[in-house]
Amino acid sequence: MRFKGSQDIAAGMMFVGIGALALYISADYNMGSARSPGTGVLPRILSWCLIGTGVLVWIKAFLADGPSLGLAGWAWRPVIMVTVATVAFALHVDSLGLVPTMVLAMTIAALGTPETRWVEYTVFCLLMLVVGWGMFIYALGMPIPVWPEKMPDWIVAVRSVLKRGQ
Amino acid sequence: MDLGSILANLQLGLQACLLIKWIPDLFFGVLIPIPINLFWCLMGAVIGTAIGVLPGVGPVATMALLLPVTYLLTPEGALIMLAGIYYGSQYGGSTTAILVNLPGEASSVVTALDGYQMARQGRAGPALAIAALGSFFAGTVATFAIVLAAPPLTKLAQQFTPADYCSLMILGLVFAIVLARGSVINAIGAIFLGMLLGLVGTDVNTGNARFTFGIQDLFDGIGFVPVAMGVFGIAEIIANLTNVDRRDLVSSKVSGLWPTREDFRRSIAPVLRGTFLGGLLGILPGGGAILASFSSYSVEKKLSKTPEKFGTGMIEGVAGPESANNAAAQTSFIPMLTLGIPSNAVMAMMIGGMMVHGIVPGPQIMEQKPGLFWGMIVSMWIGNLMLVVLNLPLIGIWVRMLLVPYRLLAIAILFFCCIGVYSLNNSANEVLIIAIFGLFGYVLIRLGCEPAPLLMGFLLGPMMEVYMRRAMLISRGDPWVFVLSPLSAMFLLIAALMLLFILLPNIRKSREKAFQEA
Repeated sequence: MRFKGSQDIAAGMMFVGIGALALYISADYNMGSARSPGTGVLPRILSWCLIGTGVLVWIKAFLADGPSLGLAGWAWRPVIMVTVATVAFALHVDSLGLVPTMVLAMTIAALGTPETRWVEYTVFCLLMLVVGWGMFIYALGMPIPVWPEKMPDWIVAVRSVLKRGQ
Repeated sequence: MDLGSILANLQLGLQACLLIKWIPDLFFGVLIPIPINLFWCLMGAVIGTAIGVLPGVGPVATMALLLPVTYLLTPEGALIMLAGIYYGSQYGGSTTAILVNLPGEASSVVTALDGYQMARQGRAGPALAIAALGSFFAGTVATFAIVLAAPPLTKLAQQFTPADYCSLMILGLVFAIVLARGSVINAIGAIFLGMLLGLVGTDVNTGNARFTFGIQDLFDGIGFVPVAMGVFGIAEIIANLTNVDRRDLVSSKVSGLWPTREDFRRSIAPVLRGTFLGGLLGILPGGGAILASFSSYSVEKKLSKTPEKFGTGMIEGVAGPESANNAAAQTSFIPMLTLGIPSNAVMAMMIGGMMVHGIVPGPQIMEQKPGLFWGMIVSMWIGNLMLVVLNLPLIGIWVRMLLVPYRLLAIAILFFCCIGVYSLNNSANEVLIIAIFGLFGYVLIRLGCEPAPLLMGFLLGPMMEVYMRRAMLISRGDPWVFVLSPLSAMFLLIAALMLLFILLPNIRKSREKAFQEA
């Protein structure tokens, strides 16, 4: 089913949703006095403004034709792979070291587009390893391990959960 | 403002630029003198040209990418390099626009219209030369405009009350709405969203935590760098990876660089007009290079005796916009330097660069750090000179950079984003933040919201709160202070008028049309 201007409806939903959430969270922030406005003043003003904007977007969506959200046209593959690659970098750089993490993250990112040519990618990956090591470890002396030093935290966590289950 | 003090300021800036650092030679233990700030200026110009040439990599993303690296430099070196990236990208963008009809930057879209036609007629050389020389002339004039305008504006800014500042920021945000592409309402929503995000963390006045969800890492707030990298770096990679453009390299040989006397004669007036127009539009909050180049093109077309010939290789269509975008790129530094208020996303990055070094942006910079202030301004002129020298003979090399396919470029950008953010605090959690904001930024793009207003809101929201509280404290809780102070009232009035205008149907249509031509 296609809505009229489903892009606007979704945008309005995001604004109203985040606004309402912020309003709910900031409900017990103290408002202070007029002379010294408290923690809650600006959050509450902004939340209401955001909700109002969302409602306006909705009104616009109902009044006029807008672009469709076109979920099918979204870049699902890059979205997922690029995000996973970034998260993979975050989860492993402290434990596995720069070189394995780089290979892992860059390969996941390369899987994000059907354009990747693997021979070309391999050469590029090696080049990037040299650049990455040379710049950040050799030249800038960043305190990152280069090779694996310990088990990544998330594996340790999963393991302990599994053990508890047994 | 007398000549003596201008010269003294320029000399101060020149000294800062020519600062010599003795680098111990790695092999013989001999000290080698290196003009360190000039070196960073050159680096900025080179990087800027490179990313200007490459479509899909903009100056904002690059500056976000390099913010962590600038942490290792002196504040002077860092800001000089960041500035170089911005105006360097203006030069680089025009090169590919002319040679291969691929505007590397949004601000050189109009250059491609006539520039590429000139290249097809075998006149790529003159087009490139006029673009570069026009840009250099505009850059020189704009730099002097900054030198003349900065001290009086700074004096004025020092008289601002907190209420004035608060209203000025509101005005800046309204301008960001007016100049955002796409839907006006969505841009407003993005600003509110950005301001809310800026509030995350501990409230400096009361010490209460806001929107932290009890997560330790959020108590200090969300960093500007991870947010900027997420919405501009990662989100753009995702968006660009889907529509990978086919780049056909039309091998147009550049022969005969020098324009004819006729070319010069026809270019002088457009260059002058473009410089003037661009310089003015650059100062406006929210203004910048893109708006300037479009306006200049339409002015040239209107003034021309043969408007129908535009689009077939008119040199006026290259000279005007190219001068305008460079002039605007330079003068948009004025509000940032004198008021401490970013007028567009690039200036937001410059402020981010200052904050990385613990410098509070605002009118006090000129007095407290005159070396930094004037050094940066003088470096802009030197950088422009470097760019002319750099660009014209080396054009072949720059164009060859287009051969690097985006699929590899994307991976390199992703890696530099990750390691760059990690290196800020050696914190892997901040890398998670860019993953989240990358995803969020892509969703925003798909929902028709520009990320630039979000970033402006993110930066200005917390600043506004500080000034609002000060204003309320001084006025003893009387909100009328925002209207009773004449400056503040004027800013608010302009902001209200702009909002009103843009919501009127007629003007909105012509605005949409203007962006459609983009």
